[in-house]
Amino acid sequence: MKISKQARRSAKQLFKSCLRDGQLDDQNVRRAVQALLESKPRGYLAVLTHFRRLIKLEVQRRTALVETVVELKPAQAQRIRNSLEKLYGPGLRFVFTQRPELIGGVRVQVGSDVYDGTVRARLDALKAAFASHE
Amino acid sequence: MSSILQEIEMQIAGAKTAVLRQNIGIVREVYDGVAKIEGLADAMYNEMLDFGDGVMGLALNLEETEVGAVILGDYLRVREGQQVRTTGRLLSVPVGKALLGRVVDALGRPIDGKGPITAETTYPVERIAPGVIKRRSVNQPVQTGIMAIDAMIPIGRGQRELIIGDRATGKTTICIDTIINNARLNREAEERGERDYRPLYSIYVAIGQKQSNVARVITELEKAGAMPYTIVVVAAASDSAANQYLAPFAGCAMGEWFMDNGMDALIVYDDLSKHAVAYRQVSLVLKRPSGREAYPGDVFYLHSRLLERAARLNEKHGNGSLTALPIIETQAGDVTAYIPTNVISITDGQIYLETDLFYQGVRPAISVGISVSRVGSAAQIKAMKQVAGRVKLDLAQFRELAAFAQFGSELDARTQAQLERGKRIVELFKQPPYNPLPVEVQVAVLWAVQNNFMDDVPVEKIKDFQNKLTEFLTLRRSALLAQIRVEKAVTDALAAELKSALEQFKQTYR
Repeated sequence: MKISKQARRSAKQLFKSCLRDGQLDDQNVRRAVQALLESKPRGYLAVLTHFRRLIKLEVQRRTALVETVVELKPAQAQRIRNSLEKLYGPGLRFVFTQRPELIGGVRVQVGSDVYDGTVRARLDALKAAFASHE
Repeated sequence: MSSILQEIEMQIAGAKTAVLRQNIGIVREVYDGVAKIEGLADAMYNEMLDFGDGVMGLALNLEETEVGAVILGDYLRVREGQQVRTTGRLLSVPVGKALLGRVVDALGRPIDGKGPITAETTYPVERIAPGVIKRRSVNQPVQTGIMAIDAMIPIGRGQRELIIGDRATGKTTICIDTIINNARLNREAEERGERDYRPLYSIYVAIGQKQSNVARVITELEKAGAMPYTIVVVAAASDSAANQYLAPFAGCAMGEWFMDNGMDALIVYDDLSKHAVAYRQVSLVLKRPSGREAYPGDVFYLHSRLLERAARLNEKHGNGSLTALPIIETQAGDVTAYIPTNVISITDGQIYLETDLFYQGVRPAISVGISVSRVGSAAQIKAMKQVAGRVKLDLAQFRELAAFAQFGSELDARTQAQLERGKRIVELFKQPPYNPLPVEVQVAVLWAVQNNFMDDVPVEKIKDFQNKLTEFLTLRRSALLAQIRVEKAVTDALAAELKSALEQFKQTYR
C-alpha cells in the first residue's frame, strides 16, 4: 500500500512515544495499537503498517539470534549472554535456535552485525574463494 | 558426533583470535539496477557492497531504515531476501602502466580480449582533488597538432579545456588528433633518446557512446600507432547507468596515478552530457529529489569534483600533471543550457565548434571569437608566441570587416590587405582530420604568412601552397625544422634561414 508522508510522520511519532529510556516498551505498543484500532482515524491502516515496520526494525536491532547445531548448555548460553550484553548494552532479546546444517560452531547475529564462527561459514568462504579465482 | 565436533570447534575458536565481525543486510526491493537493503547499519557512503555470486554494489543512499545501493554488474542475479555484506572498501580500479594499450570497462576489467591486466596497484575511484598548496601554475604546452588551437587557443599541461558544440561538429576528432599527435611526439622522443622530454600519456573515456563509434576511434588510434600510449575506458550506451556514471571517475583515477608519479597525462571525457544524463537516471531511480531539467541538485558537484582532479603538481609532489578535455554536446547551439553553463564555469576555457562554420568548409569548425583558453600564451613555446601573437587579433579584425567584403574594390588599401590576410589565415587553419601537424611546421607556416610570403598566392591555392611548403621543408630543410623544434624560438639566424628557404621555395612553386 502507498504510505503517505503524513502517515509516515504519525507512525514515527507514535513509535517515539513507545520508547522508554531508548528501549521499546511492550505495554505502550499494545496500548497504541489498541487505541488506533478503536478510534480508527483517517488513514489509520497506513499508519499502522509503517508503525509495524518501525517496530519490526527496532526489535531486529535489539535481538541477538544465537544459532548452534545442538542446544547449548546453560553455562555456555550464560557466557554468550554476558559477552553480548557487554558489547551491546543491557536489554537485548535473546533467541537460541538450532540449525544442524551449520555443521559446527556458533553463529550470532545482533541487528545487522554477524559473528559467524561456524564450519558452514568457513566452507562457504572457501567455495567463494575458489569460484573467484577460476 | 556433532556435539563432539562442536566442542572441538569451540575449543579451537577459543584458542584462536576472535571471529571477524561482518555487517549484513537483507535485500528488500530490487528494480532498475537498484536494490533497497534493510539492515546494514554500518554501511558507509560509496562503500562497496557484496551481493554474493560475484555481484558488487555501491551504497549511495543512506536512509534511516534502509540503504539504497546501485548494482554494478548483472542485477538480474539479485533476488529479494538475499543477504548483502559490507566490504569496508571503497570502489577502486587497477592503475599503472600495465593499462596502456588496453581497452577496459568502467571497473577496470579488460574487454579487448588480450588477457588479464596485472596492475601494480589500485586507486579509489572517488578521491579528493589536490589542494591549493600542492599545485603549480600551468606552463608546459600540450601540442594538439591542430594549428588553430595551438596558435590561438593553446592548451597547457594541467589545464581543463572544454570542447563544446552541436552533434557532428568534430569534437571527438579534435581529441583524437591530440592523442595521435602526442603519441607521435612520445615515440619520436623515445627513438631519439631525448632524456628531458616528458611523454604525455592519454586516456580516452567513452561515456554512453555507440559501440560502433568507439570501435572506429580505437581503429583510428591503432592505425596511427597511438594505442601503446593510450588507455581506453568504455561505458557504452548499452552499459548500465551506474557504469556510465562511474567511468569518468575510473579514468580520472588512472590519470591520477600518472600525475602522482611525476608523469603527464591527458584525459578526454567523451562526453559529459551523457554522463550527466546517466547520473540523472541513477538519482531518479534512487528517488532523490530532482531539480532543474530533472537533474539532481548536485549535478554541478558531479562535474566539479571530477574536473578539479585534473591539475599540475609542484616539484615537491613530483611535478606531474593531468590535463582534462571534457566534451559537451549542445542542442541547437545553446550554450546557455544547464549542463553547458555548469561545465563552462568549471573549466579553464572552451573551444566552441559551430555547425555553420563546419558546413562552410572551415574544419576544424572552431569559432575563434567565443573560444578562449585562460592559460593562453603561458602554454606556448616562444616560437609559437612570436608568430601567432597577432593571429587572433588579425582574425578578429577580419571577421569585423567581413561584412564589407562584398564591396571588394571600394575599400582602401589597408582594409583590403586585412581582408586578404584574414582570408588566407582562415584557409591555412583548415585541416583534415587525423592529420596533426608538428609544431615546427606550424611555426614555419605561420611565420611565412605573417611575413607576407603568401600575399600573392590566390586564396584557393593556399592549401596547396601550404602542403607543398610542408613537403619542401620536411624533405629538404629538415635541419631547419629540427632547429626550431630544439630551440623553441625563432632567433634572428633562424628567421634569416626561413626567409631564404621560403624564397627558394617560392621560385619553384607553381
